[in-house]
Amino acid sequence: MKLFGQNSLSPVIGKARYADFSCAAVSICLFLLFWQFSSALFPRARLIPPPTTVIPAFIRSFYEPIGSETMPGHIFRSLYRVFLGFSLASVTGVTLGILSGRNRLANAIINPFIEILRPIPGIAWIPIAILWFGTGENGKVFILFIASFTIIAANTHDGARHVDPELVGAARMMGASSTRIFFTVVLPCCVPQVFTGLQIGLTINFMTVVAAEMIRSRSGLGWVVSTGNDSGNMTQVMVGLVAIGIIGFALSSLLRLAEKRLLIWNAN
Amino acid sequence: MWHLATDVWHLTSPKLLPGPVKVFEDFIAKFSSKRSDGATLPDHTWSSLVLVLKGYFFGVLVGMPLGIMMGWSKWVRRFIRPLFDLLRPIPPVGWLPVVLILFGIGQEGKVFIIFFATLMPCVLNAYSGITQTGESLLTLAQSFGAGRVKQLFFVAIPSALPQLFTGLRTALSTSWATLVAAEMLAAQKGLGHMIQINRMNSNPSYIIVAMLVIGVTGALFSLVLGLAEKLLRRS
Repeated sequence: MKLFGQNSLSPVIGKARYADFSCAAVSICLFLLFWQFSSALFPRARLIPPPTTVIPAFIRSFYEPIGSETMPGHIFRSLYRVFLGFSLASVTGVTLGILSGRNRLANAIINPFIEILRPIPGIAWIPIAILWFGTGENGKVFILFIASFTIIAANTHDGARHVDPELVGAARMMGASSTRIFFTVVLPCCVPQVFTGLQIGLTINFMTVVAAEMIRSRSGLGWVVSTGNDSGNMTQVMVGLVAIGIIGFALSSLLRLAEKRLLIWNAN
Repeated sequence: MWHLATDVWHLTSPKLLPGPVKVFEDFIAKFSSKRSDGATLPDHTWSSLVLVLKGYFFGVLVGMPLGIMMGWSKWVRRFIRPLFDLLRPIPPVGWLPVVLILFGIGQEGKVFIIFFATLMPCVLNAYSGITQTGESLLTLAQSFGAGRVKQLFFVAIPSALPQLFTGLRTALSTSWATLVAAEMLAAQKGLGHMIQINRMNSNPSYIIVAMLVIGVTGALFSLVLGLAEKLLRRS
């Protein structure tokens, strides 16, 4: 499964970069203008604060706390939760995925579970998480874990199952033990697929943390949006959404960069 | 394992996690009973299906052409992509407050949320499918005198078909998964609504029934689309 578009870098980087950048600036400005005047065009949009209110409020949030924390604090909280849930999910997901991809018995046991759990979205687990773990941090980490675990496991499973049998055969013929084959052939072969799974998982986790924080929390980006909504403070809602957009964008750019660096041999 | 942990060994209290037998009984009972959330299970499922398919339909209608244009034309890409990248990480529930103001609590708001969730995978897959069209194929078509439009419809789109299908499939499962978020916005029926209500009534076995129905329906969706893809590929 592929969720990310490839970043097509043209050979003439300098000039193209410049054009890309200026076009991006123009289109974002156009979008802001549209937003600014949308309240004049659509009477229903008048309750949504224009960017001239939201952007100063966004900048202000960096030194004036919203609730108990300033914006960097909220960002840090959310990212920390994502990090906890995501690391748990990647360890278990990759292990189970490799197990079920390489072993027929494990596959028969693990795969049905994953296939049924996979379409259930993270936020559907919220009631269950609250019942089991209460409204504290553990519940949120559980939601994040379950939201990305299945997708990581499914991708790893695909990768491990489609390891070229000829490579394995060749290694075996040259007398490699099965542990050795596992570590030197199977594992490296499924790295690209595992990486795709991790990428999608992290993106999903970032989205889920916002949803999870909307339910019960005292800090985090989702909290900023939901308390803004509860108290009818639309400026705060928009500030939260802007922050989510920017951080999410930064996160996915980082991942793309990491992929390019780490998987240099995997050309496509 | 579930059965053992709950009904045989009583590791957890039935208030926290009801055993599979209880869940199954409730599942059967829910087919006819309106108890505790005001509609039967088929009703909930049907209204969720209609909602999701509406949003999905509009999402595909807008997303596919947009993604194809983004992949095909440098200028469309340059202008649309930055906006797209910034809006993408905002989760469907994040849109709830805004949608509430723009559309009120009716059907349109819910359809909009699902539309938005469908849009993303459609655009991304169409985009990357089109950009991966072989350069040599395009040059070949060009040297046979095909114009840009012909190149797009006869070379680029057919060669991107597998990716377009992946987009359709991913989009369907995403839109189905967004259901719960969309129905958090006032609803009278629907599986997401069923989860919400039974959470307030602390009725875990109905929550699990709803979750399992979501899970199984989602799995069925991807199975059906996978089959359709196989059939289409063969013909």
